[in-house]
Amino acid sequence: MTYKLFVACLVWGATALALAHTGPVPHRVATTFAHVDAWSTAAVAGIVQSIENDEGSPPAQWPIFLVENALSVRGAVRLAYVGGDGALGASGIAVLFPDIGEPYRAVFNKIIEGIEDKTKARVASFPVGIDADPAEIGAELRKQDIRVVIALGKHGLKAAVSLDPKIEVVAGAVLAVGEAEAKNNTVVSLAPDPTLLFARLKAMQPETRRVTVVYDPAQSDWLIRLARAAAKTHGVELNALAAGDLKAALRQYRDFFAGCGKNDALWLPQDSTTVEDSAVLPLVLKESWDRGIPLFSSSVAHVRRGVLFSLYPNNVELGRLLAHSALGYLGNGSRPAKGMLPLRDVMAAVNTRTASHLGINLRQQSFDLFLPEP
Amino acid sequence: MPPKPSARARLALKALALALSGLACTAAAQSNISEDDLALAYGDKTTISIATGHAQTLNRAPAVATVITAEDIAAMGATDLDEVLETVPGLHVSRSSVRYAATYLIRGIGGGTQTNSQVLLLQNGVPTTTMFGGDKGSAWRGTAVENIARIEVIRGPGSALYGADAYAGVINIVTKTANAAPGTELGLRAGSFGARDAWVQHGGKAGGADIAAFLRVGGTDGLRETIAADAQTRNDRLFGTRASFAPGPVNAGYDAIDGSLTASYGNWRANGAYKLRDRLGTGAGVSSALVAGSLGRAEVFTGDLGWSDLNFGENWGLGFNLSHLQYNFTYPENLMLLPPGTRLASGSFPDGLIGGPNQWERQTRLSAFANYAGFAGHALRFGLGHDDLDLYRTRTMKNYFLNAAGAPVPTGPVIDYSDIQPFIRPQRRKIDYLYAQDEWSLARDWTLTAGLRHDSYSDFGGTTNPRLALVWEAAHDLTAKLLYGTAFRAPSFNEQYGINPVSNGNPGLKPETVRTLEAALAWRLRPEAHVSLSVFRYAMQNLIRIVANPAPAPGATFQNTGGQNGYGTELEGTWDVARNLRLSGHYAYQHSADETTGRDAGYTPRHHLYARADWRFGDGWLLGGQANRVAGRQRGPGDARAPVPDYTTVDVILRSPASRKGWSVAASVRNLFDATVLEPSLAPGLLLPDDLPMAPRTFWLQLGHRL
Repeated sequence: MTYKLFVACLVWGATALALAHTGPVPHRVATTFAHVDAWSTAAVAGIVQSIENDEGSPPAQWPIFLVENALSVRGAVRLAYVGGDGALGASGIAVLFPDIGEPYRAVFNKIIEGIEDKTKARVASFPVGIDADPAEIGAELRKQDIRVVIALGKHGLKAAVSLDPKIEVVAGAVLAVGEAEAKNNTVVSLAPDPTLLFARLKAMQPETRRVTVVYDPAQSDWLIRLARAAAKTHGVELNALAAGDLKAALRQYRDFFAGCGKNDALWLPQDSTTVEDSAVLPLVLKESWDRGIPLFSSSVAHVRRGVLFSLYPNNVELGRLLAHSALGYLGNGSRPAKGMLPLRDVMAAVNTRTASHLGINLRQQSFDLFLPEP
Repeated sequence: MPPKPSARARLALKALALALSGLACTAAAQSNISEDDLALAYGDKTTISIATGHAQTLNRAPAVATVITAEDIAAMGATDLDEVLETVPGLHVSRSSVRYAATYLIRGIGGGTQTNSQVLLLQNGVPTTTMFGGDKGSAWRGTAVENIARIEVIRGPGSALYGADAYAGVINIVTKTANAAPGTELGLRAGSFGARDAWVQHGGKAGGADIAAFLRVGGTDGLRETIAADAQTRNDRLFGTRASFAPGPVNAGYDAIDGSLTASYGNWRANGAYKLRDRLGTGAGVSSALVAGSLGRAEVFTGDLGWSDLNFGENWGLGFNLSHLQYNFTYPENLMLLPPGTRLASGSFPDGLIGGPNQWERQTRLSAFANYAGFAGHALRFGLGHDDLDLYRTRTMKNYFLNAAGAPVPTGPVIDYSDIQPFIRPQRRKIDYLYAQDEWSLARDWTLTAGLRHDSYSDFGGTTNPRLALVWEAAHDLTAKLLYGTAFRAPSFNEQYGINPVSNGNPGLKPETVRTLEAALAWRLRPEAHVSLSVFRYAMQNLIRIVANPAPAPGATFQNTGGQNGYGTELEGTWDVARNLRLSGHYAYQHSADETTGRDAGYTPRHHLYARADWRFGDGWLLGGQANRVAGRQRGPGDARAPVPDYTTVDVILRSPASRKGWSVAASVRNLFDATVLEPSLAPGLLLPDDLPMAPRTFWLQLGHRL
């Protein structure tokens, strides 16, 4: 048995090495430490050296995994990046993203895949922990000659805006940001562009004349401004009802259902005040079904629960878009337009059961995701 | 009294404790970043895994179905297909004494035989059925789950779409595409009984094509539970010998290699796969007698090429699939049926009773379909196909001749009996089929799906099977279904053409048939809680059984005789208590009885209860636990033994997220409380008086790395 296990390990290791040497995967690991005591500095230096020498084969990385975890307990590890070959940082672009576990790690991996597809080079990717030191990040970026940072997620953006102002920031994978951040940076929101939502709605339900949305001005004002313009483009009236808290939101929904008609539709934005899972969602799902009102959402998870359709990020395309902005700056020095941009690189999900209930023929539509699953 | 843990078990416990404490330290050190924006845009883990996976199609037929995703498999801590299927309502995984092969019993159907031919197992939609035994064959032992994207299990008849053997149910294994498993992952796992596995999985692009590759090398020494008495024990008693290896351990080990390569380009998709199960232990013995060696070797090569365009013109969708399967099952060192020193009334076998049934099959299947949505309110689907199923070579090595009564007469050394008295001669079957299905929107929220399939077999003739499904979307949170269908199980080549006086083949066999009526309710209690209920009734006819030949002729022959009726219910639910805690479970009840005697059909559990909790904490840590209770297994016909003991097992699993270097660790304890788990030996218990022991408490530890 031992012999067989050994053979299995050998196959595993050999395959790993082969893939690490031939595939487009990072195979150099560097680790930057702060506040590390003498013992751990020496220990880590030795291990990093062994990884450099070993080109990242998994057996060599196993010790660092153990040591890294041991050090993590001591709060020593602050920042790590994974890059590859001489192309690391050569693109002049770095990505800062939250050091977060699955399932969201997969989302960021997909966005980075899109970025690297566009840049045709490996970019330096920095998972940013909750206790990341901005000075340390800044020093590392300078060392890598990074001129544009693509910041992903709230946490990535928070780290990026504290950097040297000479470094251009393009942000994505956030819903909305404060005015100051929007003014100084290019931010591609996770909120699907209302014009795409309305276009999809009109294609599925051409008789719709009015779209109602209940929103919290503190969260969604910028989006509603876009939605008003989009509504005009698509020949629908936008009935935007403000609500500052959940109670007010529920009242608005009830009033809407009391007076709605066959040409109405209801939109659920990504608004944590007015779109809430335990009170609002059951109410709007039931009333919309009973009254035959198309209910659509900016959150794809709602489609599983019975909302007619949603648009959700095409992560790879989002990565390409962010990289396009960054490359534009690097190429001709043109700074990308500042401010919040809605998400235009989207995929579409539909609830087949709800569509059938509303009499919508899905054969004439194109969707990426059909829910619920059988 | 439960046995004391062995030194190996204690060592495993210590290793596990060390691993768990290491994992806990890492968990404590993980940062805790909240990204509420992401939750609002993408939803929970399930939605993300679906939304970042491959685009889906819209073709499906109403059924009582369970879908198990890769995420579910990870949460239940399963390391092979059988462990996954045991969690499906109405499905119990039992074991045959022969090679300890899994038999999938669905809704009370499938017990009492050494084969598992009343369930259709598909891989990416292509049947895996081998012709000699009419079931999945011997290459599915220890099927790895690492490259499975999802498993779809349909309970109830499916012959109107899938043809033969979609009888008690259909299991479709969908493997991962490049989108479902992007990048490169490596894994290594070791566990109790010398279980070891190493695998590598890659998803990426090559020249514009999506490529998914998987390679797994592994195996196990197999559980070593004791069989107290076997068929040879009885022979020893009758003939005064001491040949039996019982009491002794079962032989349940095997070595495994699984490899697959999938390429997708536009509307085209090609798969190639290789599966090897080598050094397959004989379980409790092919003749219900423990033996040494006699290791089997099963190999499957598969390849298929498919093209589909669901938007081929305004109202059309078209597609075709061409597949080929090569199955080899051999005994490189022959098969010991009874141990050395055996004496029977027909003679003595100092070297043991030795056989060597070897078989080689090749299958080619071509199918095509068309969807048409040009008539308002109707979605039509048509399909046709041709299967060429060829058991093209057999070889029989043995040291005996079967006399007219089926008793083995010694003939000296092992020689090639392929021309003298083979276990079967090469056989070939061709099938042509066509089907049509209409999904008709009768009225708002009412849909009637009607399907009909005709299969024309070159050996036993034709069979036509309908399927009707009325679906009512009664409310926003309630769906009701009423389903009716018939299905058939084609006789296997062994049942038609096998050469053995005590179980002679019968070329005149007709297929077994079943008629099933089902009703199902799916109710979403709240957005985060879902309950479904199904009730069913079935009637099986023309069962293929071994019947004694009319006197004075000795021996027995496969015949169509008798039937079995059953009914039951399945209740299942899922509740996302919080974003990081999911509870799920089911209860299944069934009662199946012989049509003539009214006696319980035996073997299958009347009650099956399952519960699972998945708790996610930290940055992607998973702690899961599941409990599985199997109860109410009666004995088969003519078996006076007490009912098979009930059992409850509890499993726990802990998984780490990938570290920033891509490393992850998982550990599990299965059958935590070391419950005694037995699967029934065949009636009347003369050959194996005791039931088949299953694994006691076991452990595994896994290391993964994403490059």
